[in-house]
Amino acid sequence: MKNTDKARKPGRKKPASRKQPAAAQSRRKGFWRILLRLALLGLVLLAGWMVYLDAQVTSRFEGRRFEVPSRVYARPLELYSGAPVSAAALEQELALAGFHKGDGSRSGSYQRSGGRFLISSRGFDFPDGKEPRRHLALNIAGDQVQSLKVVKGPDSGIVRLEPAQIGGIYPAHQEDRILVQLDKLPELLPAALMSVEDRSFYDHHGIAPLSIARAILANIRAGGIVQGGSTLTQQLVKNFFLTREQTLLRKGNEALMSILLELHYSKSDILETYLNEVYLGQAGTRSIHGFGLASQFYFAEALEDLLPHQLALLVGMVKGPSYYNPRRHSQRATARRNLVLDQMQQAGLLGESDAQRARSLPLGVSDKASFSQNRYPAYIDLVRRHLARDYKEEDLRSEGLRIFTTLNPAMQMAAEKAVTETLPRLGDEALESALVVTAKDSGEVLALVGGRDPRYAGFNRALDASRQIGSLVKPFVYLAALSQPQRYTLITPLQDTRFTLKFENGTVWQPKNYDGLERGEVPLHQALSKSYNLPVVRVGLDIGLAEVKSTLQVFGTSSAISDYPSMLLGAVAMTPVNVAQIYQGLATSGFNTPLRTIREVTDAGGEPLSRYSLQVNQVADPAAVHLLQYAMQETMQEGTGRSAYNTVPRALALAGKTGTTDDGRDAWFAGFSGDLLAVVWVGRDDNGATRLTGASGALPVWSNFMAQVPQNSFTPVVPDGVQYHWVNVQQQALTDEQCENARLMPFITGSEPKQTITCAGALPQKIRGWFEGLFQ
Amino acid sequence: MMRVQKDMQNKAQMFRRAVVCAVLLLAGCASGPGGGIYVPAGERPQAPKPPLTDGAAKPADEPQVWRKSEQPPEQKSQQPTGVPGYRESGDQMPAAAAGLVKEADTLIAQGNGAAAITRLERAQRIAPRSAAVYFKLSEAYVMTGQLASAEQFTLKGLSLAGRNERLQRSGWLLLADIRKARGNVAGAQQAESRAARL
Repeated sequence: MKNTDKARKPGRKKPASRKQPAAAQSRRKGFWRILLRLALLGLVLLAGWMVYLDAQVTSRFEGRRFEVPSRVYARPLELYSGAPVSAAALEQELALAGFHKGDGSRSGSYQRSGGRFLISSRGFDFPDGKEPRRHLALNIAGDQVQSLKVVKGPDSGIVRLEPAQIGGIYPAHQEDRILVQLDKLPELLPAALMSVEDRSFYDHHGIAPLSIARAILANIRAGGIVQGGSTLTQQLVKNFFLTREQTLLRKGNEALMSILLELHYSKSDILETYLNEVYLGQAGTRSIHGFGLASQFYFAEALEDLLPHQLALLVGMVKGPSYYNPRRHSQRATARRNLVLDQMQQAGLLGESDAQRARSLPLGVSDKASFSQNRYPAYIDLVRRHLARDYKEEDLRSEGLRIFTTLNPAMQMAAEKAVTETLPRLGDEALESALVVTAKDSGEVLALVGGRDPRYAGFNRALDASRQIGSLVKPFVYLAALSQPQRYTLITPLQDTRFTLKFENGTVWQPKNYDGLERGEVPLHQALSKSYNLPVVRVGLDIGLAEVKSTLQVFGTSSAISDYPSMLLGAVAMTPVNVAQIYQGLATSGFNTPLRTIREVTDAGGEPLSRYSLQVNQVADPAAVHLLQYAMQETMQEGTGRSAYNTVPRALALAGKTGTTDDGRDAWFAGFSGDLLAVVWVGRDDNGATRLTGASGALPVWSNFMAQVPQNSFTPVVPDGVQYHWVNVQQQALTDEQCENARLMPFITGSEPKQTITCAGALPQKIRGWFEGLFQ
Repeated sequence: MMRVQKDMQNKAQMFRRAVVCAVLLLAGCASGPGGGIYVPAGERPQAPKPPLTDGAAKPADEPQVWRKSEQPPEQKSQQPTGVPGYRESGDQMPAAAAGLVKEADTLIAQGNGAAAITRLERAQRIAPRSAAVYFKLSEAYVMTGQLASAEQFTLKGLSLAGRNERLQRSGWLLLADIRKARGNVAGAQQAESRAARL
């Protein structure tokens, strides 16, 4: 570079003319030269740095600004005259859906007096249409809605409450948000925010030097960082791009990026992004970002429904969400809120009387964070696995999908209670359990418990504990037999006597009854209801293992089934969810109904992406299944399931089957009412022996659950091709209804006994009829 | 192609007539023995009736003495808690479900089968034991050209039609039509002769 006077900084005054030595002059020139070079180098570096920062700012803003977790909703509660819901369950549902006790006329509030409810619903955008806001008056008695009246809003005989959000599928960094749009927000919120955090927001270009100077002075006086003069833009940059450390370099970057941001984007863009980005609290490992989610989190309300004093609290919390946490430090939070209200009043956003009233109100924070971590880990786990068939994990974590599930919160609570109350009574702390509840006719999974601690999100036994099913297999063996009415009916006598099977490889198998006894001859229906082993093996061998295997498969068994006769006693491993799947067909007269946890998935804007429809597939003759259901009802009345009625109301007709494996390693119960199918497994994770049976281990859990839920009895409709007859089972003959040993039993038409006997079990009907005629 | 569509439309109309008739008939359905089957929760029953040896029933939830047996103690004196029950016909539809079916009817008339199915699935959850709901679902699936599903829903409806002959006849004729449309001539004849025997 040429050394000339021109290199002097323009505009700089020449120093006073004084004769100086030549050496000094050349030193001074050298100094300026170095300074100039350094300045140029600095400019080049700064320009490069700005280009880099600019790229960062724009790429983050142009791309997806936020990763929004998927929201998972419970099924909405349907209210109509006759709806099966208890007053307590309705109140629970309302609480879960974020309703609060109040006058029942303010949106999102309800009033209860005994069985009478006044509810002010908020309305909801369902995938199949909008449910409008309504004021409802309803009366519940006998666990049923007796009357429902729409007091305000569009009239309808059936109303859906908004669904409770039961969890989310979160991005890896655990940030959660509900996105809000500036034009749909109450204007008071941004105005209040600016009055407190950045009064000159619309006038500055990203930084406000005066505010910074003020802050620097304050910090110098205090000997540390005590005050920030950050604009909203700077705060956004800090949240968006930078770490939390407070260094000069970071401050410089923040200022530069703020200027760049303002260059590229409009004020309203920046403000909206700020409203969605700002950190406002913590829920366990999940951080609460943005005013939309904070509104739900602190008030269980949508942001647009908040009142000034609630908005003021949220605005006040921007300064320090944990320091001003209203649930932990209510006094501190109230003082801060009132300070914000003062500022709002000064800025002319609130009149004096309104501000005064707002200051006098309590914080109005909901009792519990309405967005706790996933409350139902086992259930959400199943939802995720179902979603994984159609959606990428990254989309579930970031695209803000809305997932409408089939979970019934009241049933889930009952299921959890059944497990947590019963397991400790079984006397072995190592015992674990799983419970699956489905809607019998639709296959919707209503509740799922994956272990003795329902909140523990670890090993999900309902889905992953594959265990031998023991006697749960017996109904399928007998169904295969009853499907051949010319060979088997419910009263076919079976041999309950020991026998030995010799295999070609020389091994020998000698099955036994659990109690080691033999009873000679027992009718088929009793062999099932009392769960005897010897008859079922004989029947299975008679109709063929292949037939039994194919029956299990068409009912939805996906696990491997052994070709050894031991499979007739349940040497087949299945998970509780698998068992629920195959029992679905037994509960619904032979219709295989695929289990579902999801009804619909929509995108963040409510556009439908997938629907999972009800499907039914007939896999067995309804007539044969009806006969089997008779024996499964008998199980509950006279057989191994009898003790259920120590807990369950006698009026509730049920059907089911116990299952026990060797040494009590697994205790099972699968059974159904008119509405529900529930499957319980109890055992140890290490597959160790227990002192339990299906009846003593799993049935108590099952009964506890069933007793808690109002529901319809199991009274199956007689299908085509079935007729009921009064029979004398021992004599294998038709008889009179009045006879002491007469039993009314179903037969596939044509398979009923041909012979008729009297009560004494002697004279044939024809002869008796002739005598009667003679003496009339 | 057009002809096929027209055929489908004709079929849909035919099904509609059959099913509307079926729905109307439901009003006259008798329920089986026992009348109402809804049982509220939480009432623990009295101790069982059988003669007690020492007058004390076992506490409800106390596990029994552990036995290596699933079989309950077989006492001749023990009375069964009841007898297996059955019904001659399925449920009547509550007004709420009937309202949804009516909405679905309108949607079917407008050619919106998918929306009709969502309404009908809601109705099915409310009235899962009503044959008519399944016949309606069958009709909606015919409209959307999913005949295999339509056939299955008809069969499901038939399994709940019980002794109601007119409901049964509607169901069997519906089944015959669907099977014909699917090219299953033998199956269609079987269903028709079943209807004729009623």
